[in-house]
This record gives sequence, structure tokens and C-alpha cells, in this order.
Amino acid sequence: MAGIHKSEVTISQSGKMEHDLLRTVNWNGRFKLWMGFLSLLLLVCLYFYYLQLRDGLSVTGMHDIVSWGIYISNFVFFIAVSLIGMLISSVLGMIGYKWIKPISRIAEIIAVAFALVAGLVIITDMGRPDRLQHLVMYGRIQSPIVWDITIVITYVVLSLLLLYLPLIPDIALCNKKLTGLPAFQRRLYKILSLGWADKPGQFKVIKRYFRILLIMIIPVALAIHTVTSWLFAMTLRPGWDSPIFGPYFVSGAFVAGCAAVIIAMYFFQKNYKLQEYITNRHFDLMGKLLVLVSLVYVYFNINEIIVPAYKFKPFEVEHIGNLFYGHDSALFWMVQTGGLIIPFLLLMIPKMRKPLPITIISVVILVAAWFKRYLIVVPTQLTPYYPIQNVPERYHSYTPTIAEIAITVASFVLVLMIITILSKLFPIIPVWEMKEENENQKQ
Amino acid sequence: MKNYILLIFFVLNFGFVVNAQEWTVPAEEAEKVSPYIFEDDFVTDGEILYENSCTSCHGTPTENNFMPFSPPPGDPASEQFQSQPDGALFYKIQKGRGIMPVFENILAEEEIWSLIAYFRSFNKEYVQPEFDYGDEVLSELKFDLDFDENIDKLVVKVFSDGEVEEGIDVSAFVVGMFGKFPLGKTKTNELGLAYLDVDPSLPGDKQGNLDILVRVRKGYAIEKATTSMKIAEPAQQTSLIEGRHLWSTGDKAPVWLLVTFLLIVVGIWGVILYIIFGLFRLKKIG
Repeated sequence: MAGIHKSEVTISQSGKMEHDLLRTVNWNGRFKLWMGFLSLLLLVCLYFYYLQLRDGLSVTGMHDIVSWGIYISNFVFFIAVSLIGMLISSVLGMIGYKWIKPISRIAEIIAVAFALVAGLVIITDMGRPDRLQHLVMYGRIQSPIVWDITIVITYVVLSLLLLYLPLIPDIALCNKKLTGLPAFQRRLYKILSLGWADKPGQFKVIKRYFRILLIMIIPVALAIHTVTSWLFAMTLRPGWDSPIFGPYFVSGAFVAGCAAVIIAMYFFQKNYKLQEYITNRHFDLMGKLLVLVSLVYVYFNINEIIVPAYKFKPFEVEHIGNLFYGHDSALFWMVQTGGLIIPFLLLMIPKMRKPLPITIISVVILVAAWFKRYLIVVPTQLTPYYPIQNVPERYHSYTPTIAEIAITVASFVLVLMIITILSKLFPIIPVWEMKEENENQKQ
Repeated sequence: MKNYILLIFFVLNFGFVVNAQEWTVPAEEAEKVSPYIFEDDFVTDGEILYENSCTSCHGTPTENNFMPFSPPPGDPASEQFQSQPDGALFYKIQKGRGIMPVFENILAEEEIWSLIAYFRSFNKEYVQPEFDYGDEVLSELKFDLDFDENIDKLVVKVFSDGEVEEGIDVSAFVVGMFGKFPLGKTKTNELGLAYLDVDPSLPGDKQGNLDILVRVRKGYAIEKATTSMKIAEPAQQTSLIEGRHLWSTGDKAPVWLLVTFLLIVVGIWGVILYIIFGLFRLKKIG
């Protein structure tokens, strides 16, 4: 266990806070067990990726008609979840909401993990990942795919910086206060703390840079998900041919991201015993935020359906019919009502915003959000503007294969591993910001 | 879909009634032969007609993909068709039976013969029987062409055995890459002149030339010729991939896109690098 100087008889309030928040930085047995389990799962999944590397995309269920399957659905989902870092730290933080302080790092870690792995998910969708560099060599700047790659890389770097900047004082603190650290960890802290010495000038610089990042991440985060939506909206297909696809995606991203943060909050509160810092009030406020973003998303969903449905254009009708009462209707209604409308109605009841109920509701929302991306990506491709003819029977539908599912599971395993390691390597709640906040309240 | 099935049922039942007797052609009709020579042009006319009026039931010749009606419509390239004399085919197209429509009032005799010419083009062994013109002496037809810019009309002056004559059939077409665009059909006036409207907005080649096919007919005598005439506006041919466009290759990206993209990327990465370099100087700040 990490050693804390417990010899001091009087532990001041900020000292207790330090103790509580640094307590979580350790490599305990449960962590090792959990990481062992994740590693094993990852190995099994990587075997399927080996098969895909060996045999190509033929191990997947994708074909000429549906060339974007659950990989791309998953990519859209990951980008969506990663947007939450921007909403919580940047938008709410700059408005001046103080309550986001203890959960902002959780949001940023989620953003970093999902954005990082989203980049890998694109690569899994490539039949020849060894030709990735061709994107730079032969990419056309006119193609939304080039914009997407550029913005994904930019967003990953920005998210990393947004996570890292407020971490620097805490890393220095960890290095100073924690004992019994393995040598590699001590070296890592030393490198990452960049010679931090709690000097006022250093705080000034960090705060200034952080503010620049907070401002810059807003357009970049909006751009990343808008460009992701353009991958679809700039392709002439029923269901994608929509000028409001950007805001539709962004609003959906906030729903998925809020749900992910609530689940993580619950996990960290219970496992890291942080009830004093992540309180019922935080769950209540996050619940209200989730209701707000869900309402916006419902509004966009209604728009996406009713406008083409009213005009009754032939191919749009086929697509909407498929969603409403056709092949994908069961999934569609489950996602729209069970995963969006009922949850946000429930969340309007205060009792439902207590930690456990809201976490269960968030799990439902997050799972539905994943299938929602599937419903956006796949059915449209099955109703193209040209007749599907002279093709094998299996081209008339799409079913993901075991390999595809395993590789998608691998991406989730990677995300969990990144979140786990980051939350064990660094304090999950910003210590110096909490102390600062505490002192401000006293004055 | 339902209507389609109903139609097939209807047609099937109808077929039993009609199928009861063979389709007999009166002997004198079966002996009829074409006064028109089955040459390539004539076959092409027939092919176009066939695709417009016959394919839906008879399918594509040689592919046996006709509709499953009773009696079956059959494939015009098949033995069943080719074994019949020209006159019998002519009679059957003209009169129709069951769901085979009556084409008597729809297609001119010449057009029906062109269809038969098209059918025969699938039969290498076919030799066209000679038409007995009897006492009729075929006139020697000649014509001159001119284009009147003031009234946008093609003027055809026809000479029959060297003389102008009223009432000679004149038709004209613009010859395109994939077919003929009809300009019209008319008859000569008492001066031997025929006028045909030309739309001046028709796209010509770079010089404004159009290939005009003129066909004149008097009785069984036919004369035709294709002439290149400067009638249309010169076409301004612009290449769709010339210059910078969204759809061009990467090195021909639109300037506004390049500038916007680079400004955004350089702007954001400039700030990122500024912050990263700033962080490395953190140690020196006191």
C-alpha cells in the first residue's frame, strides 16, 4: 500500500484531502486481478485480429453493399463518448460551475481513452493497415476521411494536454508524498512533473495554458464529431443525406458521454471510497445535465425522421420503413424508447438521480447509444439508390462475425485498460484544484 | 406486385382459348415480300423500333428471355420465327392476336419491314426474296441541301429524274453517336422544296457542324445521304477535370479548401506546440 505520513497527529482538512485522494494511487491486488483479466481477454481478441491480418476483411461480415459494419459504428460511438471531456471541463468549467471540479478528471480520462482507441478502431476497419501511410502520401485533401484523420489526431493530442496540464502539480505531489513506489513509477513521475515546485509563477503559466486549451478544445471537439458525421452526410445515401447530421451527432455524443461519466463516477465512488468528494449532489446534477442533452438529442431525432418521412421520397421511405416496421424495427424502437425516451423521463424524477438508479439508467443509455450508432451506419447501406442485384444472397443483409465482435470487444478492453491504468497512476480527483477550492470557500 | 400476378393469370387463361387453334396466315399474305432492301441502316431502324415496342414481351433476341405468357411470345431469333416466310411475319405483326397487339395502325408498312429486317439479321442463312416491282419504274432521286439561317430551317430540294415534283416524302435526322434524332418528316411543295425545322440550340461540334441524314422516298425509290452542315452553335467543350475542383485529384484541390485546411491545422498545432514548448520551460519559472 502507498505510504502516507500518518505520524502527524493533527491532520488538517487539506491534509485529510490529500490523504484521501492520494490513497487511490497504488497497484493493489484487485487492480492486478482486474488487469490480468483484461489482458487475458485482450489476448483472446487479438488472436482474431491476427486472423483478420492474415486473411483480410473476409473474416468480417462486411461486403460490397455493407462496407461499413460494427467497426465504423463503434468508431462513431467512441468519438461520441470522447466528446464529454469538452462539455464538462470546458463548457461547464468556463461558465463557472464549481461542482464539476471533482469529476472533470474522470471526464478527461474517458475522453483520452476513447479518443485514443477510436484511432485504432479505424485501423481495424482497414483491410491493409500496412498501407496506412498512403493516407498521407496519396490522401486527397478534398476527402472528409483526410479531415477526419487530421482532426482525430489533433483531438487526441488536445485531450491528452487537457488531462496532463492540471495533472502536473498532482504528479509532483505524488512524487513527494507517496512512498514505496516502484522505481519506474518514480522515474515516470519525475519526468512528467517537469520540475514542478508549486511556485506561483508556475501555477500562473499552467492556468493560462489550461485556459487556452479549454477554449480551443470546444471548436476542435465540435469539429471532430461534425467531420465524423460528414463521413456519412457527404455520401449521397438515404438516411445520411441530411444537413443537420453534425449537430445531430454532437447532441447524441453528449448523451453517451454523460452516461459514461456517470457510470465511471459510480465505479470510482464505490471502489475508491470517494463518497465525500463525489457526492449524491454530483449524481443529481449529472442526471439533470443528461436530461438536458437527451432532450436536445430527442429533438434532433424527431427532425431526422419526420422531415424525410413527410416528404416521402421513395428511397427515404424504404429506409424509414426498414427502421419503423422492417428488418431493424425491433432494435430501432428499443433504442429510441428504451434507450432514450424512457430513461430521460425517469431521470426527471429526483429519486432516480440517486447514485445506483442513475447508474443503471446510464448503462442502459450507453448500450443503446452503441446500437444507435449501428442503426445510423448499417441500415442506410442496405437501401442504396441503386438496385442490389446479381450479388450473393448474403449481400442483402449484414451480420457481424465472431471475429468482428471480438475485435470490437478488444477496443473496449483497451479503453478499460487505459482508464484503469490512468486512474491508478494518478489521483482520479484533482488534488490541488480541490485544495484551492477548499481555501476559496474558507475565505 | 399483385396486379402483376393477376395480369399473368389473365394472360394464361386467355392463352388457352387462343392456343386452341394454330395461327394461320392467308396464303397470299404469306407470299408478300419486302420492297425495301434489308441493308444495315434498315436493320438499325428495326432494332430501335423493336426496343421501343417489342422487347417488353419478346425480350432480347437470341437470349430467349421473353415473358412467360401462353402462348409464349417467342424469341425473334429462334427457329420458330425464322422458319416463317417474311409475309407471314408481316401479317402477324400487322394484325396481332390475343395479347399480341395490332400494329396496323401504329407502325407504317416500311417500319414493319424494318422489324423483319432486324429479325433476319440474326439468321445468317437468310437470303432476301426479290420484290417484283412489276411495271413500276423506279425514279432516280437526287437532292440538294441548304440551311436558311433566317428561319432556322433545313431546305431540301428534290429532283425526280431531273425534275422538281410535289409530294415526295422527305425526312431528316441528326446523326448522333448512339442513334438518330429526327428533325421531322414532310413532303416537297410544288417547287420541289421541303422545309424542316432545326432547333438552333442543338449542340454541334467545335465548329458548329451537325451530321444531317436526309432521306427522300417516292414510291419504292429511296435516296439518302449524310452531310455535315454548319447549323448549330459551336460547342464549348470544357473538361470537368480541368482546373481545381472538389472532385479533382489531390494535387488539384481547390485553393479555398487548401487555405482553410492549412490555416486551421497550422493555427491549432501552432498553439499546441507553443504550449508543449512552454511546458518544458516550466522548470525555469520561479
